[in-house]
Amino acid sequence: MDPFWSYGLMIAGGAGWTLALIIAVIPVGIVLGLLGAAAKLSSWRLLRFLAESYTTFIRAMPELLVIFLVFFGGARAFNWLLAGIGFPEIQIDFNPFVAGVIALGVVQGAFATEVFRAALLAVPVGQTEAAQACGFTRWQTFRFVTLPQVWRLALPGLGNLLQILIKDTALISVVGLADIMRNAQIAAGATKQPFTFLLLAAAVYLLFTTVATAVMMLLERRANHAWRRA
Amino acid sequence: MAETTAAPLPLEIAGMRKRFGALEVLKGIDLQARKGDVISIIGSSGSGKSTFLRCINLLETPDAGEVRVHGELIRMRRRAGGQEPASAAQLRRIRTKLSMVFQSFNLWSHMTVLDNVAVPPQQVLGKSRAEAVKAAEALLQRVGMYERRHYYPSQISGGQQQRAAIARALAMAPEVMLFDEPTSALDPELVGEVLKVMASLAEEGRTMLVVTHEMGFAREVSSQVMFLHQGSVEEFGPPASVFAAPKSDRLKQFISRSF
Repeated sequence: MDPFWSYGLMIAGGAGWTLALIIAVIPVGIVLGLLGAAAKLSSWRLLRFLAESYTTFIRAMPELLVIFLVFFGGARAFNWLLAGIGFPEIQIDFNPFVAGVIALGVVQGAFATEVFRAALLAVPVGQTEAAQACGFTRWQTFRFVTLPQVWRLALPGLGNLLQILIKDTALISVVGLADIMRNAQIAAGATKQPFTFLLLAAAVYLLFTTVATAVMMLLERRANHAWRRA
Repeated sequence: MAETTAAPLPLEIAGMRKRFGALEVLKGIDLQARKGDVISIIGSSGSGKSTFLRCINLLETPDAGEVRVHGELIRMRRRAGGQEPASAAQLRRIRTKLSMVFQSFNLWSHMTVLDNVAVPPQQVLGKSRAEAVKAAEALLQRVGMYERRHYYPSQISGGQQQRAAIARALAMAPEVMLFDEPTSALDPELVGEVLKVMASLAEEGRTMLVVTHEMGFAREVSSQVMFLHQGSVEEFGPPASVFAAPKSDRLKQFISRSF
């Protein structure tokens, strides 16, 4: 087979890993972001302190450093914890994919915390007061009133984070994940045609971000349904 | 109140106090609402009338005082710097009997008019969807909003939003309805449609507390008028005596400025 096609196929295979990584990180980031925002707005001082430390610490560090910390230190810390609670015989190893999901999820969560915090503050107080006055529980108020409105207000900021996430996945290639970036580098080195394969990789990233933008537009349209004039 | 009836009153408030920092907003307020009473709460801005209403269903936590709904005391417990409801479950149950209509409507903006009215009975009173929708449609019919039931709040006028909000309050089958300046955020030409709905509720014998600047409503519709001044009840009585023969100078001044 012509080397262009065989290496091209390899990059396409890498795109599968990149996509899997993106899809796995999104829910981690959203859940950590919601929890972080709830903690920051909590009346409990300890929770506020923990959330504040989390975002300050994570946002201060280069993503690459977080990835190294999780990949090289994460498994060791996990095994140490397992030994501590009485399972010294279990030894796990983080593969690059798991390390990538954890590292990027933690980073996304820190930024999403701020997005959700801003969105939570933007929901008018009267909306939750009306729910309380009807006798809603705190969970019902969150589930039926706050969350649907927060979602709409958070979407533009989350769209931004998604674009960043797509590009940050390339960093996981340094710990050995056979993603688009790593396979493009291998192809470029082996064929001595760096531009061909780097540009091919660029095209795949562009495709991903374009699809992501389209998806976000659709979600925003749906979320804004109730605010459109009849 | 001279009469001695066996049935507990829909709403009894005793010694309600509230302070915001150095400012004492409510200085010990008592109120008894009999079944079918429509009590207008009037007074200049800053007199504490909205705070009083919001302390009744504990959207604000009063510093002291007792609230009884149909004889049941809302239990409070001490905590640092004041008090708090002792039982969240009891408070929720009592809140369903005290539905509130807000100045800025506060319809949930992501729900249609119909859902705004149908969702609370479903979630809080445990009604089935079909049952809740049927009841909601009847209530929307009653406030003249049936044709707009599939609209979102952003797509209808303020008067229509407020009428839908009244339907939402009615859907809880409340013991007492609390109105917090229900027409103050409305354009003048939309005030009438809301007052008309409220007058019809008064006519069917609902117990209502209405904080209002609409002196016409206070005079013609209410059975009692409460005049608040700087956090105290300055005068209380049927509108005929309060408006026609005010005793205090402050009420005289207030009336002369309001008509």
